[in-house]
Amino acid sequence: MKKIAVLLSCLALSCAAATGAAAAEKLRLGYLRSDLHHLAAWVAIEKGFFRDEGLDVEVAGIFNAGAEEMSAFASKSLDVGYLGMAPSITGVANRAAAVKAAALANAEGSAIVVKAGSPARSLKDLAGKTIAIPGYASVQDFLFRRALESAGMDAKAVTIIVIKPPEMLAALETGQIEAFIAWEPHATKAVTKGVGRVLLRSSEIWKGHPCCVVAFEEAVVKSRPAVLRSFLKAHARATAFILANADEAVRIGVQYTGMDEATVRAALGNITYRSELERAPILEYASYLTRLGYIKETDPEALLREYIEPSGLIRESRP
Amino acid sequence: MSGGPRSYRLLHLLPVVAVALLWEGLGAAGIVPENRLPPPSRVLGGLAELISRGLPPGSGLLGHCAASLRRVLGGVGAALAVAIPLGLLLGRSARLRSLAHPFVELTRPIPPLAWVPLAILWFGIGDLSAVFIIFLGAFFPILLNTIAGVLSIERGLVESAVLLGAGRRDLFLKVLAPGATPAIFTGVRIAVGVGWMTLVAAEFTGVKSGYGLGYMIMTARDIQRADQIVAGMLVIGLIGFAIDALIRAAEGRLLRWR
Amino acid sequence: MDLVVEGVEKAFAGVANGARRTILGGVSFAAPAGSIVCVLGPSGCGKTTLLRIIAGLEAPDRGRVLVGEREVAGPQREIGYITQEPTLLPWRTVLHNVELGLEIAGLPGGERREIARHHLELVELSGFDDYYPKQISGGMKQKAALARSLAVGPRVLLLDEPFAALDSQTRNSLQEVLLHVQGCTRTTMVFVTHNVDEAVFLGDTVLCMTAHPAQVGRSVAVGVPHPRDRTGPELNALRKELLAFLAEERQKARAAEAVPRLGRGGRRDACTEWG
Repeated sequence: MKKIAVLLSCLALSCAAATGAAAAEKLRLGYLRSDLHHLAAWVAIEKGFFRDEGLDVEVAGIFNAGAEEMSAFASKSLDVGYLGMAPSITGVANRAAAVKAAALANAEGSAIVVKAGSPARSLKDLAGKTIAIPGYASVQDFLFRRALESAGMDAKAVTIIVIKPPEMLAALETGQIEAFIAWEPHATKAVTKGVGRVLLRSSEIWKGHPCCVVAFEEAVVKSRPAVLRSFLKAHARATAFILANADEAVRIGVQYTGMDEATVRAALGNITYRSELERAPILEYASYLTRLGYIKETDPEALLREYIEPSGLIRESRP
Repeated sequence: MSGGPRSYRLLHLLPVVAVALLWEGLGAAGIVPENRLPPPSRVLGGLAELISRGLPPGSGLLGHCAASLRRVLGGVGAALAVAIPLGLLLGRSARLRSLAHPFVELTRPIPPLAWVPLAILWFGIGDLSAVFIIFLGAFFPILLNTIAGVLSIERGLVESAVLLGAGRRDLFLKVLAPGATPAIFTGVRIAVGVGWMTLVAAEFTGVKSGYGLGYMIMTARDIQRADQIVAGMLVIGLIGFAIDALIRAAEGRLLRWR
Repeated sequence: MDLVVEGVEKAFAGVANGARRTILGGVSFAAPAGSIVCVLGPSGCGKTTLLRIIAGLEAPDRGRVLVGEREVAGPQREIGYITQEPTLLPWRTVLHNVELGLEIAGLPGGERREIARHHLELVELSGFDDYYPKQISGGMKQKAALARSLAVGPRVLLLDEPFAALDSQTRNSLQEVLLHVQGCTRTTMVFVTHNVDEAVFLGDTVLCMTAHPAQVGRSVAVGVPHPRDRTGPELNALRKELLAFLAEERQKARAAEAVPRLGRGGRRDACTEWG
């Protein structure tokens, strides 16, 4: 009698496990540390949007830079990730990892910050000074050089060094750098702490520029298209949620960045949350990265075909 | 060995060539994915680009090598200047040794890289903090080997110098320093090795001049060119090898008496 | 008298049981200027301790040493010292080793070289100026050590069994070199040895040391003029006398050690091992 009872309960448990497994698709997610651009991911997790789509999303990595996240993709440790458009295109072009961009995470939301008491009024005033970027081939690196070009300045006119954003504030404060360019909320944090002043917003450098994307590892795209669609649905829903529920969005932003409410609220005001990719800006990224020498792309159209996932959230540009 | 030194050196190269061929083969066969470990052909291509175009574009390989060498020489030089006299002193006096012991043994296990945040606070981002980190890495091997070198000097040698009228200064210059030199050389070789390794990581944290091998590799990482990362590593290894060979040659000349 | 040793006593804490052992129990003797005094006794700590005290490397518990009527308070250039193992600096050539004392004294290069070469010639070691110690034999090393000590012109030279580690041919030849050198420099020498043949061949006076605590048991004047016949009758007679004395002392030592040895079941320290 006892033996049958044990056997039956084992059977019941395994059935439950099987149905449980069938119910939720596992997905390994990555995003950047304290990067408010990736708020949609955090919202989708906190509000259960992924769960609603039948996805069991596990945070497999929190990274300091897009290039690091690409390495994680290369070693097949991630299925999906939020990261900058520039590092992801660079990685695909340089054959570092096989990922496909399926949606936009945000547009704009970076700024060039100078020291609070600095007399600098425009980029030209930064000639001969030291500026910090979060990394080469990052969105910010890209934006900064575009800004220099627009101001008619030579790239060699300033000294560029690489510092991780959390350390940029201290470097600015102690006068080791005269300015930095970083993603929100680091820019706003410098302001609220009274250490820095915004010189130029990224929206002023290139209006409406796409910033971060939602990228999938190639294998996921090929073998689990349904999962991709479900994820993008949750992402779009989260994006809409942010636009409609500022307070709740701020709360989640505070939770994930650890920064104070005032900073997060102000920072959110500088970021545009949109979920659709557009081709033209991506082409611009590709050709500019080639010009900078980070990638060697002789056929930008081919690169785009490789980079953009056609079944993703793409806005067809009006002719 | 028949055939002389020329054939011996060629024999040394054979295993290296064999490994390179194997590595290339594994890559070509697709067993080792190219994006995880680029094969030698890609690495050499990347190296050519590092020399011709430079990375970041415009910053040539030679400039990076020069900057890194400068920092290592500075750090190791500073370590020599401090650790050798201190080591001679501590080697000579048991009392001073026991006084210094807790400080030395507490600081020694701390990896130089753990000092980076402090270094940046004290010296800012730039050559000085990199030199400081390298100094820390080079200091202990030289100090400990110098002390061991002094302790290894036969007591009779010291006494005979004293009997010939040697005062403290003469003792240090004519007996302790030369007597400890073999051990000091060992310490220097270790120190330079450690310093060179520490340098690259130290440069990861921030380099103001925009030049440095660690900085170059970090940039290759940022733009996700694994072939150039490996090429950079190759350069670092080759330079380290060359420096060590130079030191060994100097050692051979200076320590002919052994 | 060039060298006067008055009532030197020295005790050490015992290695085995911590009790203080008296090594030197009041040693007194005087060496006339330019003479060779041989100190004969069984191999062991006492004679070396005596030499170290005379050299100023250690202080006596009681008594004092006078060199040229001045009390010895520490090592000085007036007193040279040669040990059994030559302590040439291995990283210096033979010539530079001999120059060491002159360098310390601050003499200019040319003068140093000349004096050093002269002394190397004296000890019959010319032509090896640029050799390193590791390249020359034991006998040659001792010659170089001798030249080095003599180069600074000491008043007294102490030698602690300098030829004991050499084969008998080399030893004999070096003894002759030493006599030749002494003839030229007239340095007062205190030569410690456990070798009776050596003592009678070299010494103007031979001091026989008693067992622990060591004292001068007998002082024998060797009245034989140089060059001496090693196997001649005078030296043979002396040899006999001294060997008998040594044997007697050995017996006394064994008798004295017998009681404590039984008690401790065989623990010994190096000093009780008689050759």
